[in-house]
Amino acid sequence: MSAVVAHCINIESKLNVPTVPLITSEFHTQVKTHHTIQKGMPHLRVTYLISPVWGKKTERLRKEIVMKSPVSGKMIMQEIVEGLTRPLSAEEKKTGTIEPSAGPDRFTDTPDNLQRMFMEKRMTDYMPVILPTEQKVAEMLKGTSHAPDEVVGKMAAHTAMGGEDNVEVFEHWSYTVKTVAINAVMAGCRPEYMPVLLAVASTGKEAISVSDNSFTEGLIINGPIRDEIKLNYGLGAMGPFSQANSTIGRAWNLLSINAGNCGRVGTTYMGTVGNPMNWNNVIIAENEKDSPWRPFHVRRGFKPAESVVTLCEGWGVLSAKNSKYSVWQKEMDFPGIVKRIVNDQDGLFGALVVLNPTVAAFIKEAGFDTVEKFTEYLLAPAEGQPAPPPPKLPDSKGPAPKGKMPRFGRLQVNIVVTGGSNNNYWSYGGMACRQSVPIDKWR
Amino acid sequence: MKWHIHAALIVALCLGLFCSLPAQNNQAQAQGRTMQEKITVLSPMGKPPVIVLKPMAPRPASLEGKTVYLVNDGYLGTDLLLGEMESWFKANMPKVNVVYRVKGGGGFTAEDPKLWAEIKEKADAVVMGMGH
Repeated sequence: MSAVVAHCINIESKLNVPTVPLITSEFHTQVKTHHTIQKGMPHLRVTYLISPVWGKKTERLRKEIVMKSPVSGKMIMQEIVEGLTRPLSAEEKKTGTIEPSAGPDRFTDTPDNLQRMFMEKRMTDYMPVILPTEQKVAEMLKGTSHAPDEVVGKMAAHTAMGGEDNVEVFEHWSYTVKTVAINAVMAGCRPEYMPVLLAVASTGKEAISVSDNSFTEGLIINGPIRDEIKLNYGLGAMGPFSQANSTIGRAWNLLSINAGNCGRVGTTYMGTVGNPMNWNNVIIAENEKDSPWRPFHVRRGFKPAESVVTLCEGWGVLSAKNSKYSVWQKEMDFPGIVKRIVNDQDGLFGALVVLNPTVAAFIKEAGFDTVEKFTEYLLAPAEGQPAPPPPKLPDSKGPAPKGKMPRFGRLQVNIVVTGGSNNNYWSYGGMACRQSVPIDKWR
Repeated sequence: MKWHIHAALIVALCLGLFCSLPAQNNQAQAQGRTMQEKITVLSPMGKPPVIVLKPMAPRPASLEGKTVYLVNDGYLGTDLLLGEMESWFKANMPKVNVVYRVKGGGGFTAEDPKLWAEIKEKADAVVMGMGH
């Protein structure tokens, strides 16, 4: 992800200072065919380095900067000097505007040809779609009272975590209620799912992040809408065992691909190994009925009768049984096991703990009658365990903690209860849940 | 009598036509084709924004006597890379004044208004790394 390009374009255009951004060669296509054009400086003088740079020793880097760039064939340091001194050409001085088109607003052909065309134009997730005829889209639009041409939001292939104090790296595409409905039809949704989809779409959060980390996204859904649209929060809650669970995440993906220009490999998608959870995202309807604690959305300030969707982002989730701490014992110390697993999570996203009702009940019986109390326990230094390196935060003060503890704060520990009660299995992952939005206003 | 012959011929023709249709369909299916009506579907695409072309900054004729900022955006390995570039300038273009800075703000995309102000005031050129 080339924030460097965006910064350099701002330095050139706003500060009037010439720049040469340094980009690793594997990002050449992304920068040349997308970033520089979308940011309005198609001739930005980029020097491409021999990819990757991270992980190489100084001796090797010393040699590589006087070798030929794999893209231009010019010696890297000479190209940098030339990029900073060669007079601007007429093309480079050009100003004005370009109005890109996303293509025609409808297509006519046989169903087989249309399926093929949707795939060739990369308007799908490479799985067959329900073809969005006018009739099917009109039916889908009955799932909301909002006007079809109402603009719901805008989306880019990357949402900066820091908000408005960040440079915009990817361009934002806009979309309407009708666009959301079209993608919902394609994903196989029912009209009653529309309020959930519109609430998610209104945030502008992309389902498929450009990051080379291969992130995945997630939704936690609370409130009465779970039963209204038959979301599964019992056995197999996170699996493909109900139409709502299977299609809502897919619709978010298709909306991101088509309405947010996300997920285009080489330009708006750079995930190194990809993520299988990208097919449908991590969709969780909380099992509020069997949870021993207040529902997830209530703990975030909403009323129990409100329907709310929370958006999460991170590496995904996996079974806690995969953890070295999840040992089989006759008497299980579930709070301790959860704590030791949470302690090991990376600080970027914190921890999402997905407990099933029986494990949650065991934790409550151990003395944690609220999630807040349990979270305090999770965040406290653990006795008898070595302390981690001090956090590398610029504002961190005081001595390092004596016991092992997570490298993140209260807001980055998210605990949700879902699934069946047939055994004591649960999942966890590095996922941050940054925003919760009401669903009911989109009914 | 004539009327009966005409009626019989019409019935025979209709029967023949009726029987031949499934045969044609079977033939098409056997060849991997299906008889499909054309339909119209809606595009799922959103609306891309207008692109505003921005002017590039004018270049100096030479870097001699100029100040070049090497700016590290914080990505892993960039400090080592820019360190080597700084050494290269010192060895090969000693009249270039090289200044190394780390962009602040806590993240690759974060703005650093203080650094931007310094660049505007003091820099003649910027090399920034590293897009990865």
